Amino acid sequence: MMSMLEGLKYTAISSPLHGLDPRPKSFMVLTLFLATVLYSELIPLVLVMLIQIPLLAVAKVVGQWLRTLRGAAVFSVFIFATNLLANYIYQEQKLTASIIVSSLAMTTRFLALITAFSVFFLTTSPDKLSLTLQKAGLPYELCFAFITAIRFVPVLAEEAQTIMDAQKSRGLELEKGTFVRRIRNYLPILLPLIINSIRRSLELAEAMESRAFGAVKVRTDLYELRLTKQDYLVFALTLVSLSVILYLRFFM
Amino acid sequence: MKESLGIIEIKELTYTYPAATRPVLDGINLTVERGQFVLLTGPSGCGKTTLCRCLNGLVPHFYNGTLKGEAHVAGLSVSKTPTSHLAQHVGLIFQNPDNQIFALTVEKDIAFGLENLGFPRDEMRNRIDWVLRTTGIEHLRQRAPHELSGGQKQRLAIASVLAMRPGILVLDEPTSFLDPVGADRVLTVLDSLNKEMDLTIILVEHRLDLVAPHVDRVILMRDGKIARDGTPWQVLSDEADLGGVGVPRVAQLWQRLAKEGLAKGPPPLTATALAQALRSLFPQGQASKARHRQPSVAPTGLGELGAPIIEIKGVHYTYPTGVKALDDVSLQIRRGEALAIMGENGAGKTTLVKHFNGLLRPQKGQVYVSGTNAADRSVASLSRTVGLAFQNPDDQIFSEKVEDEVAFGPRNFGFKEELLTKSVEWALGCLDLVERSHQNPFTLSGGERKRVALASVLVWSPQVVILDEPTIGQDYAQKKRLMSLLSDLRSQDKAVAIVTHDVEFVAEWKPRIVLMSKGRIIADGSAEQVLTSPTVLETASVRTSEIARAFQELSDLGFGKTAINVEDAYGMIAPSLRGET
Repeated sequence: MMSMLEGLKYTAISSPLHGLDPRPKSFMVLTLFLATVLYSELIPLVLVMLIQIPLLAVAKVVGQWLRTLRGAAVFSVFIFATNLLANYIYQEQKLTASIIVSSLAMTTRFLALITAFSVFFLTTSPDKLSLTLQKAGLPYELCFAFITAIRFVPVLAEEAQTIMDAQKSRGLELEKGTFVRRIRNYLPILLPLIINSIRRSLELAEAMESRAFGAVKVRTDLYELRLTKQDYLVFALTLVSLSVILYLRFFM
Repeated sequence: MKESLGIIEIKELTYTYPAATRPVLDGINLTVERGQFVLLTGPSGCGKTTLCRCLNGLVPHFYNGTLKGEAHVAGLSVSKTPTSHLAQHVGLIFQNPDNQIFALTVEKDIAFGLENLGFPRDEMRNRIDWVLRTTGIEHLRQRAPHELSGGQKQRLAIASVLAMRPGILVLDEPTSFLDPVGADRVLTVLDSLNKEMDLTIILVEHRLDLVAPHVDRVILMRDGKIARDGTPWQVLSDEADLGGVGVPRVAQLWQRLAKEGLAKGPPPLTATALAQALRSLFPQGQASKARHRQPSVAPTGLGELGAPIIEIKGVHYTYPTGVKALDDVSLQIRRGEALAIMGENGAGKTTLVKHFNGLLRPQKGQVYVSGTNAADRSVASLSRTVGLAFQNPDDQIFSEKVEDEVAFGPRNFGFKEELLTKSVEWALGCLDLVERSHQNPFTLSGGERKRVALASVLVWSPQVVILDEPTIGQDYAQKKRLMSLLSDLRSQDKAVAIVTHDVEFVAEWKPRIVLMSKGRIIADGSAEQVLTSPTVLETASVRTSEIARAFQELSDLGFGKTAINVEDAYGMIAPSLRGET
């Protein structure tokens, strides 16, 4: 389950997709989203999925995307099974080719959505994302909190591991006892983690003050968003695709 | 605005934290001239950190509390100027490198302060280029903070503060989380900032050995007051007790010789200076008398030893990230043995000790604990025999009372109530915590919490005690107490192993040393052997003790090279200076 989140972990490499402005890129991904929601037949959904593979290849993130799919495998099987069961009970009461195909379509829809997510988050740095959100009117403090949260994920993960090791070294056995007892077993891990986080937030606040946080009303930013030729091209291509998608769905 | 001579002017400063009964700063008077490199030191809890916070206005603006007297920094009144404004004149750098880095890349973090001040983008770029060069981290520009080593993170913290071009840098124990190599780089950067850019630097540090040669003024604080103030020579040649502060070992040796009238003049502060000074004490002929004289103190590392209690045979371990941490490591530890595992960060030290109690399992090779294969036993079962105490007490303390925290382990091991009470009492007694037993551990000082964590492992009387970096953040007096506790444990026939960077501590304790580098054991022997072998030490990026370095330089005079601590050196030199043969 955790490896499903692998698809959201950004790594800084350079590719045409990484270089795109988040605004046309998010328009492109939202269009892909729309396509997966508008169509419920297997063939178009498979097409939406396949269209994205060259994008992932250009962005050099196919490996990470495959790991995400592997993480999503169990969930996909679950979606397929529940769809099959629901169709079986509410529609025909027997196993036909059509309910298998429609269950497959639902599973493909899920995978296509995950892929679209991957295309965006694997190629967009949180810093650019934060700038985009600020442009959209979100207050800076909120974006700062978002960036800081991402910054401390690896720190917290490491700390949680150390705490777990320390308590196991004092004889704590997590998998021992009844259900309630097992939940209680996690207290010696959660409490130091929470207390350390409170202590850390105080230290961070001190460090922020020492770095002139909030000194001027309008702060500047090292990075800026600037639309290039490629961005306009992507925007135009997406607009054309969107028209085709809508036309095929509603007027054919 | 007030015109003042010094860049820092403090008059009769008294400060009390909210809800505290006693002032933590008590009538401080201090003037620091532009361009001075000041070492601020003193025992834990003496008010050093509070004084640092006062210099950029965190005290009183962030902490409230009551401030009396006056403090002016760069001509600005601290109590009347907000921290965000003072930040452009005073850069404050904290102990924990992680908790002062905000951004996801190095260059963006350096920009953070400048963005907050509303600098234009071009100026930011210029300043980022400049500080990256100054702190020697140009190659890390686009890296994420979690990919950096501790020393690199701390240099980033300095770069980020430096970008705001403050005239003063204040650093609160910036090297205590770093290995010696990382610490050395940070000090080199500070040295060049001070010498080349005339930056005023205030550095808080316990380890005088490390920093005394760099600074031109030492201020010693005690109980919220300034107890001593002068050049390093003035402060350190004063024979009176410096109260919990460790005098550099080379100066200690000189003081002992001076006390007997065998040496004169200001104490040397570096190994090279000591070597020169000693050379001048021995006219050509007299030096030969010292030849072949062995230290009068017998090595303590290799006394009589019992049966092997931990045996590691050909162990390999690679982390899921692909980092090869252990590469065919074999090791035997016996009852009653004292062991120090040393080597640079990432050499595999912590990975190795995690194999002792099963937290990590070998991918190849075997681990035997008291004669049985560890593979068949759980971490809990192995921990009864092998007690492992981690570096940071805050990664384990969770109880509301000290005694409950200490009782956690034995409860897990199913101790009966009577034995439990007895064991807890014994452990609290061992670590001088009896009076604290009903207190909340979170109200205790850092040093006390460290002792609580130690007690909470000793309590079930494991036959092997392993301590990860036990001396970090401990002042000199606390280290002395720790050393006597370790000796007590050995006399109870336990094996004691520490993982450490603290070479001076090791030189005094004289355990067997296991030296690691890149996942392998590259040397294993007595402290005298290992600490006097420059080649292997260099491979492991370990710097030997100050005394050992001085005696290496004196080898042409015919001194034995086995002196590694003050006691050895004194035993070797004093008799020949007295004219004994």
